[in-house]
Amino acid sequence: MSVAAAASTRSVVRFGRTPKITRHLRKNKRTQLPQPHVNVLTREFAPCRFEDHYHNTLQDNAMYMTYIHEHLPRPESRHIRLTYDPNDPYAKNRYNPPVGGSQLGKKPPPPSSPDTVIRLEKISVHCMVKEAIASKSNLLGLIMAMRALTGESYKAGGHHAVEGIQIVRGKKSVGGWIRPGVPVGVKVDLKGQSMYDFLGTLTEFVLPRLRDFQGVVLPPQSSSVNSPSAVSGVVSFGLPPTAMGLFPQVEVNLDSYPKSYGMHIHFVTNATGLGAQNRARALVSGFQIPFVRK
Amino acid sequence: MLSRHALTSCSRQPNAAFHYFRRSLATETTSEPSSSALIPPVRTKRLPRAQISASVILNRSPIITRTPTLFERAYYAYQARIRRALHNPFPFDFYFKQGSLLETQFSMEEKKRERRAFGPKFNKEEEFVSKEKAAADKAAADQLALQEGETEELMPRVHVADTNRDLKSLDRKGKRNIYILLQTKQDSKYIWRFPQGGVEKGELLHQAAQRDLYSECGENMDTWIVSRNPIGVYNESPLDPLSSEPKPEKITFFFKAHIMAGQAKPNEEIISDFAWLTKQEIEQRVEKDYWEGVKDMLSDY
Repeated sequence: MSVAAAASTRSVVRFGRTPKITRHLRKNKRTQLPQPHVNVLTREFAPCRFEDHYHNTLQDNAMYMTYIHEHLPRPESRHIRLTYDPNDPYAKNRYNPPVGGSQLGKKPPPPSSPDTVIRLEKISVHCMVKEAIASKSNLLGLIMAMRALTGESYKAGGHHAVEGIQIVRGKKSVGGWIRPGVPVGVKVDLKGQSMYDFLGTLTEFVLPRLRDFQGVVLPPQSSSVNSPSAVSGVVSFGLPPTAMGLFPQVEVNLDSYPKSYGMHIHFVTNATGLGAQNRARALVSGFQIPFVRK
Repeated sequence: MLSRHALTSCSRQPNAAFHYFRRSLATETTSEPSSSALIPPVRTKRLPRAQISASVILNRSPIITRTPTLFERAYYAYQARIRRALHNPFPFDFYFKQGSLLETQFSMEEKKRERRAFGPKFNKEEEFVSKEKAAADKAAADQLALQEGETEELMPRVHVADTNRDLKSLDRKGKRNIYILLQTKQDSKYIWRFPQGGVEKGELLHQAAQRDLYSECGENMDTWIVSRNPIGVYNESPLDPLSSEPKPEKITFFFKAHIMAGQAKPNEEIISDFAWLTKQEIEQRVEKDYWEGVKDMLSDY
């Protein structure tokens, strides 16, 4: 007991004298900021409750629920036509279409193994502001709201696997609506700790207080099991603009934002093959996201 | 069994015709007719049917986060320092009105966090705040914190059940996975085991597991059996070919379940005691053979 108490009170931060700078860092020509000569990475900076929950409980449960016993290795796929040989002068540089059309929606899930247990890879949040087409300064409020909601900014903390807040630009020219290259929205990909933090805020502060929200509506039972969305392992839903004020980090100074913004949220998992979306839903419901059938 | 015999006979007689193959299923010694002529075949007694039972590993998941080790805390502190040093500048002017109470509170808290990360002397010389102003700021920030209920005390991380060593409480060992273990009398000896029971005819294994759990631990709890697939199997008395009296195999299939609410109220006629235990505590109580069968189904954390 006394050892544990001593360990918990022991300081883990040492403030010695700062080392003497012998050689100054090279400066970025454009920004005049010093450039470190190595990639400085920031990793987890606090214990993560939802990640622990995944590793303690959800991972095991997901494996038990989705396990399919196969006592033999899977047979190799049948070669219907000759395979593509790039050295064959006839086939060289020719179009090589997949045999039997696209196999998307027909492939079975990968064999059950510790590597293929379903896990949450990232949460993607995005939002579009129509007024930004007229004037891109209308995007500022949304960018600030997203920074507050997700805790990300643009490439903060050196080089990152995630980009932070990204501006979405128009791709096509649609008459009277959008032109290519016009900034119209904002997108954030959350991974790791910030992903679990966002998920925690969503399920503990926002969804319980959201009016008339019974849960994410499931598609009718008759819907196709082979559609691209059903086999991609992504669960998506939207939040109305009223939900923004329920995030505690926005709630504290809601007046600062010009207006409330709704958002689309995608939970991207590693599930693939037939029934991937159902497996993804099972995982996401383990993180306390409710689902209802209409 | 059947397929194994068929395989062995196939490998011994690769050229055997189909009707020979059919015959070879009946007895194993067809390929060596000379030896079978000398020694009369031993007529083994027909094996008794295996007794199949279903068992439930009823789990209470961790309810509080685990305490990070000293190394983990040092790592987190270091990463937080790097993160703070490299973060993009915070746009005060957007999020706060100039001179608002919220801004005062935020900058005070931010200063505290900076000192924690970079040392007590960080940004000391930049301050030109008069004492009266600092005191007023502090009073305002304290009042704001009081309004928002930030002064509420947190629950202690050690529960009363832990200090009282109450093994029946569901609140004990909040950082760990705990499992229910029942004590029963078997062959005039008290043993500890997981809730279990037999399988009735025509009943599915997971249904049997559910029924047996309720019959042994009472209906006073809300449980969920995770999967229809068993998570493990334990063979109590493997077949011993040397014993004269062949015993029936006792095979137990385990299912994982979670307790959501309520508490176990075991049937006192069968169960003499119960306890909610961690993996290490279970090892001390159960028989060695049983432990070898179940240890890989339990969580180390």
